[in-house]
Amino acid sequence: MDTIIIDGLSFALPLFIMAIGGIYSEKSGITNLALEGFQGFGAFIGAMSAVLIANASGAAIEDMFYVALLFAMIGGMGFSIIHAVLSIKFKANQVISGVVINILALALTTFLTTQINALVFGAASDKFRLGVSERFTIDGLANIPVIGAVFTNVYPFQVIIIVIAIFAWYVLYKTKFGLRLRASGENPQSVDAAGVSVSKIRFSAVLISGLLSGLAGMCFAYSISAQFSSGIYMGYGFLAIAALIFGNWRILPTLGACLLFGFAKSGGMFIAQSMALPSSFTDLFMILPYVVTLLLLIFFSKSNRAPRALGEIYDKGKR
Amino acid sequence: MMSDYIVEMKHITKRFPGIVANDDVSIGIKKGEIFALLGENGAGKSTLMSILCGMYEPDEGEIYIRGEKVQISSPNHAANLNIGMVHQHFKLVEDYTITENIILGVEPISKFAGLFPYVGIRNANRKIEELSKNFGLEVDPTKRIADLTVSMQQRVEILKVLYREAEILIFDEPTAVLTPQEIDFLLGIIEGLRNSGKTIILITHKLEEIKKVADRCAVLNKGKLIDVLDVKTTSTNLMAQLMIGREVSFESEKAPAQFKEEVLKVEQLTVKNEDGFEVVKDVSFTIRSGEIFAIAGVADNGQVEIADAIAGLVKASGGNIFLNGQDITNDSIRNRTESGISYVPEDRQRFGLFLDFDVATNLASKQYYKEPFSNKGILNKQEFDQFGSQLIDKYDIRSGQGIKTQVRSMSGGNQQKAIIAREIELQSPLMIFVQPTRGVDIGAIENIHKMIIEQRDQGKAILLVSLELDEIMNVADTIGVIYNGQFQKIASSESLTTNEVGEYMMGAKHE
Amino acid sequence: MSKDKKKTSLRYRLIWPLRNEKWQPISIPVASILVSFIAAAIIILLLGKNPFQAFYNLFQGAGILPKPTYAGYKSMLTDFLQLLNAMTPMVFASLAVAVALRAGLFNIGVSGQMLASGFLATIIVGYSGLDAFIAKPLVLLVGMVAGGLMGGLVGWLKYKFNIHEVVTTIMLNYISQYVISFFIHMYYIDPISRQSKYITEAARLTLVNVEIANMKMNIPLGFILAIAIAVFIKFLMDKTVVGFEIKAVGSNRNAAKYTGIKVGSNTVLAMVISGGLAGLAGVTYYLGYFGSIQPKVLTNIGFDSIAVALLGNAHPVGIIFSSFLISIIDQGSTYMSSQAGIRQEIASVIIGLILLFSACSAYVKYKVSRLKDKEVDRKDSES
Repeated sequence: MDTIIIDGLSFALPLFIMAIGGIYSEKSGITNLALEGFQGFGAFIGAMSAVLIANASGAAIEDMFYVALLFAMIGGMGFSIIHAVLSIKFKANQVISGVVINILALALTTFLTTQINALVFGAASDKFRLGVSERFTIDGLANIPVIGAVFTNVYPFQVIIIVIAIFAWYVLYKTKFGLRLRASGENPQSVDAAGVSVSKIRFSAVLISGLLSGLAGMCFAYSISAQFSSGIYMGYGFLAIAALIFGNWRILPTLGACLLFGFAKSGGMFIAQSMALPSSFTDLFMILPYVVTLLLLIFFSKSNRAPRALGEIYDKGKR
Repeated sequence: MMSDYIVEMKHITKRFPGIVANDDVSIGIKKGEIFALLGENGAGKSTLMSILCGMYEPDEGEIYIRGEKVQISSPNHAANLNIGMVHQHFKLVEDYTITENIILGVEPISKFAGLFPYVGIRNANRKIEELSKNFGLEVDPTKRIADLTVSMQQRVEILKVLYREAEILIFDEPTAVLTPQEIDFLLGIIEGLRNSGKTIILITHKLEEIKKVADRCAVLNKGKLIDVLDVKTTSTNLMAQLMIGREVSFESEKAPAQFKEEVLKVEQLTVKNEDGFEVVKDVSFTIRSGEIFAIAGVADNGQVEIADAIAGLVKASGGNIFLNGQDITNDSIRNRTESGISYVPEDRQRFGLFLDFDVATNLASKQYYKEPFSNKGILNKQEFDQFGSQLIDKYDIRSGQGIKTQVRSMSGGNQQKAIIAREIELQSPLMIFVQPTRGVDIGAIENIHKMIIEQRDQGKAILLVSLELDEIMNVADTIGVIYNGQFQKIASSESLTTNEVGEYMMGAKHE
Repeated sequence: MSKDKKKTSLRYRLIWPLRNEKWQPISIPVASILVSFIAAAIIILLLGKNPFQAFYNLFQGAGILPKPTYAGYKSMLTDFLQLLNAMTPMVFASLAVAVALRAGLFNIGVSGQMLASGFLATIIVGYSGLDAFIAKPLVLLVGMVAGGLMGGLVGWLKYKFNIHEVVTTIMLNYISQYVISFFIHMYYIDPISRQSKYITEAARLTLVNVEIANMKMNIPLGFILAIAIAVFIKFLMDKTVVGFEIKAVGSNRNAAKYTGIKVGSNTVLAMVISGGLAGLAGVTYYLGYFGSIQPKVLTNIGFDSIAVALLGNAHPVGIIFSSFLISIIDQGSTYMSSQAGIRQEIASVIIGLILLFSACSAYVKYKVSRLKDKEVDRKDSES
């Protein structure tokens, strides 16, 4: 039971912060299928920085976590500029832009990883080893039955994510930036008429999604996979999109969806292990989040409402 | 030297690809007057005012505000100069409250714990309530836009401008979608604003409004300034002549109607919208051959849903529809077209046309599956082209590259012509027209009215839905006034006055 | 001022192939390909290698240009046939994307549909020991039906429950990937290769190691079918009522409904056709190019094909050319890597760049038309 909660949370929270990035982008009116690419590229930049700095300074790679996190956010944000430019300035189709960015991210990071490994370390490797970030347990609270698991073996990034998520919620729903951002996704003309630049709002929204995705990608790399490789493109970005659609483009329900995915995943693994089934059965349990998404969408898609102007190219000059 | 004008626009020229929207236009507006801009669609009124609002920059010319030369680079800049525009197409976020819409862009900021800035909605609510009372525009600031009527939404647009402390207010065709009573109320508000010292610019093509409230009036035609007139000393006829460049009759010439057999019969029709809310309630009426039946009403009172339900675009949740005695309530859209319904939809770009297809394809888009356009599932492109050229000639559809022109590149008037041509060619006993003259210029309006009456004289039954009361009074034989999804009154057009219809439209009066 | 005029005028003339609307469907993709190769050349230069050498090797590896030496039983023709072998599923997959695109749908699930149909064809026919004459057509049929059903499901969910096809296809991609991995591990695993067991030669759509004139080559039977199907799809989309309705739905769903076209059934139909084509891509890939399935891996073809279709303007003939190009880059990369000492992964970077630039095509069109307007204005004001 405890492992379900511990593993579920450590998976759900990075997913959640990436989904919040998606919410920002989509609430501003930009369809964002590129989360997958953002998180991968962000993780790549983070991992690369960690490995290079550790190599130069002689520090242990596990201790480079915060450095990596910082660079991953910058990397994810930097890469997201492509999506912003393509879909806002170049008026490209946003779905196509997203797909292309995902392909490009995979290609670029794979190429650069092998290239850097060969150049710097003289090794023909297609991954950066990172190890697993340290965990901590809050002694008193951890002893509470059931809920105690929430405070056991916590990754530091989980705390960071919760703080950022609260801040993101506050910005989106309470500040003027949030008010304008949400209006851009509903009726960009109204924002424009109010003398606010729709393009700037959308640009920043996409960059925020890149930043948060980069953060998420780094968390995955430092926990589940313990390395950076092309295996980071496991489809978590798409799962985050499913979560936000499912959460009706609102932050709190999206958290629910992410937790559901997280526990479905860890629960499935746990059942497969505890029933001592052959390892191939884990594959069968892996489909749980996806099946759950599909089924729930069948029931809830009627009441779901995407931002009205989502995916539409906003042309200011339109008369 | 200080000029006595608060706004001066000198030698303004603005070009768009293909047209000169404003050609060397110079006007001066005095503080505290109501200045009207009169002209047809496409005469350049809106462009001129968009320049004043900072939405476009002029190619040539100068602007002086309060005697100072300015270059208005953005709507923000215009707002700083106390210029504000009440848009014809409301720019409101439906999910937001009135307050949220009004403060968007100029949000008042409060601080939580002296540290975290947030939008101070509560203070804004109070301020807006006060403001709305001062100008006689009472609203409940916490209501969502989606729950408001059209005229209430317009109030929000006006409040938006007042909240930004505008001194110069531009109204862009503000009465287009209002009932006569609402128009009177609005004109009263406008006069009140002037009396409190504001300067008003009123864009319109309705002469009687100008006559009622305006002090002076500039007439534009095809981008050029024709004249600036003193309204009190100028006759309406002269203004009309100047606006159009020739004499026109607003009354359509119409032979007396000759009703024959019943074509359409609607019995206790009920239609629900997506949220399960009844937007058409228990409506019954009939249309005979040779009759123009017009539905009058304020926007969103169920009239479009009636048309859609007859054409099959939405499902009737109750009641029956008979065409020539045949029950078509559950027929598919295509079957209804086949059994004799033509439909000119309200939104020509969203429903009426495939903008990326060429004219020929669009003209044949209701017959492509039949001979001679196709045979056993294989299309005959030659037939498309031939049919297209024929209709382009017959209906005088102007397109740059003939039948191969992408419809997207055609003007609104010609797009509408193409739809009407296609629908008339179907030779259906029932023709439905929803807002057939929306956004087309006056010459074309005349033409469309003529075509509708022609079809009636050929023995078609015609259902006309329009928000323009003038159009209905001119064209209809029978008028059904709808309010809140129900007919308030069905009577012959001779027996009703414009004002009576207006009262029924507001639900103020019913049988 | 006049100098400025000259400048725009010169710029105007330089981009003549781009400004002519008739040529845009060809000139814009060609331009994006050129720009990507230039970008790749810069990367290669930065790595201290000769880009021309690298590109030359790329074409050598793909069997377009002769290599200096060949191993026994091999020639340029062998390489070229291998290129066609690899290109076949790409053509089918891109057609699948294109048909969906024409209906206004994004089939991001081509990879999943390929895997599912490839897997079903493998277990139903691949291990059956049926005669080649029955087995090969049966493989195609199973592939088409399986893919078509899966695509149809996506269309149906969209029509019935209004679930966006992008979400459904992505979910189905993962579901098929894991479920099939499970079955392969449980029942069909080859313990040495760690893949599914090889299918019988009779069921395989590529004739492997055929000896002709002392050469051993792989003859991709599916390739001829791919070309034929491309021609058929062109006919279907341009000349038939079915194609007209699908395009109408893709162009404007509301107008299509208003015209009396059944939007729902056309959505489902377009997805069935798209899925069916993806199915053919699946069988020519798993039962043609390969003879087995690697568990838990979705092929990149399904995603690359979106871009290939885009590059080919969602037009069947364009797709044949664009898949040819992308396959050359893919196939030639191994040889390039061994000869020029550049990492093979650069090939996917080049492909990624081509896709990136072709995604900008709308902007190029817009910019060019703006320039054209300016030019017209200039002429007007001069005359």
